[in-house]
Amino acid sequence: MICGHARELMAASWMGDLDPGGAAKLRQHLDGCPECSAEMSQLGMMWERLADIPAPEPSPLLNERWEMTLESLVTQRKAKSWRFSLAALTPGRPVWQIAAAAFLLIGGIGIGRLLPRGAGVERGGVERGGVERGEVAALRDEVAKTKEMVTLSLLQQQSASERLRGVDYSARMASLDPQVVTALVQVVKNDTSVNVRLAAIDALSKVSADAGVRRSLTQSLGQQDSPMVQAALIDYVVEARDRHAMGPLTELAARPDLNPAIRQRAESAVRRLTEYHY
Amino acid sequence: MDAQVNQTTDHDLMTEVARGNLASMSEIYRHRHRSLFRFFFRMTGKQATAEDLVHEVFLRMIRYRHTYQTGDGFEAWMYRIARNAFADQTKKHRLEVPAEEGLFDLTAEARPSAFEQVSKKQDLALLYRALRELPEDKRELIILSRFQGLSCEQIGELMGAAQGTVKVRVFRAMKEMGKIFLDLQKEKAS
Repeated sequence: MICGHARELMAASWMGDLDPGGAAKLRQHLDGCPECSAEMSQLGMMWERLADIPAPEPSPLLNERWEMTLESLVTQRKAKSWRFSLAALTPGRPVWQIAAAAFLLIGGIGIGRLLPRGAGVERGGVERGGVERGEVAALRDEVAKTKEMVTLSLLQQQSASERLRGVDYSARMASLDPQVVTALVQVVKNDTSVNVRLAAIDALSKVSADAGVRRSLTQSLGQQDSPMVQAALIDYVVEARDRHAMGPLTELAARPDLNPAIRQRAESAVRRLTEYHY
Repeated sequence: MDAQVNQTTDHDLMTEVARGNLASMSEIYRHRHRSLFRFFFRMTGKQATAEDLVHEVFLRMIRYRHTYQTGDGFEAWMYRIARNAFADQTKKHRLEVPAEEGLFDLTAEARPSAFEQVSKKQDLALLYRALRELPEDKRELIILSRFQGLSCEQIGELMGAAQGTVKVRVFRAMKEMGKIFLDLQKEKAS
């Protein structure tokens, strides 16, 4: 047997893929070839030793992120299948669509004529008004929930422009749901795109009164690598007049590798916060 | 649950996902995320990047669920997606060879009383560095065969190569790693 074939058998033996016939041939070759024998011994030992390299573990954040994504995908799919079922009920050809619309219109007018006029206003106008307001509120609630769902889904997208759209959606909401706030904080901490992180900091300005959000953002200050994001976070905590940020800001300013402009900004932020609080 | 049982279960679960039951992906994730994370961590050396890639692979499994064919092994299909996700990531950001993993933080335990333990650990750290310094294709081969437990046949399917070719490549990768390891040992001694 030539050395080339013996090497193939050596790899097979390390991978546990060597049959008894191959093992016998390899042994025979190694007995007569000191070079291959040395290689088998050294590299075989190394192969064994590789098993001792510690196995890394994923962080719990990965599970949270995946569960959120899957939940949102399952919900989206359910909503989509509803849309499909409704679509199946509607007639496909334009002629039938016009006929269906006309039927509904005529039916609506007929029912309207059959109902006693003004009775509702005389007897229960206030009650009916209350019911309508309740329905409108429920509808608004539903729209807000859909927006939240879309936002959370967009924030999980691979494309940065889609995630940016998600942040933009959240910025347009009147108030932020806790789940959206958590997702935005995660974006500030972990997103790979500087633009997305900056937009998320802006969107979180609505909840700057929330001490938990301020704490999370202050903590992330030390982990940010982009001076623009660092500057935006410094401005955020100063705007929020968060005195608990003074320690982390002082630590940041003392970092030797810090951008000089950011150091100046951090020092100025500490001075301003001192003025506010002392 | 052993690998073979997982493989069969995950095949059934993935068939369910392909039929539209996305919730079944939750169970596949539970079986596979750790192993995939280790694959990516060993390829990239970065915790956050490895986690992003795991997330991306599961998303792609859902996106491309219609391409899952009952004749294919689940593992080979999953690693095909994983390799593509890794290649796309590499194209986007050229990954540098990292040294920040914290797998081998020697300073805390470098006491004379534990000399033997430390020197063994240092050797292991050098071995890990040698693995990290291998070219990407060779590193991948060793990771798949040694750590991920893929058979010669599975690796061959994945890479479109004959089993004999896979074995020769594994040998060459090991030999190159051995050379890097010896160089690193010399460097440390001098």
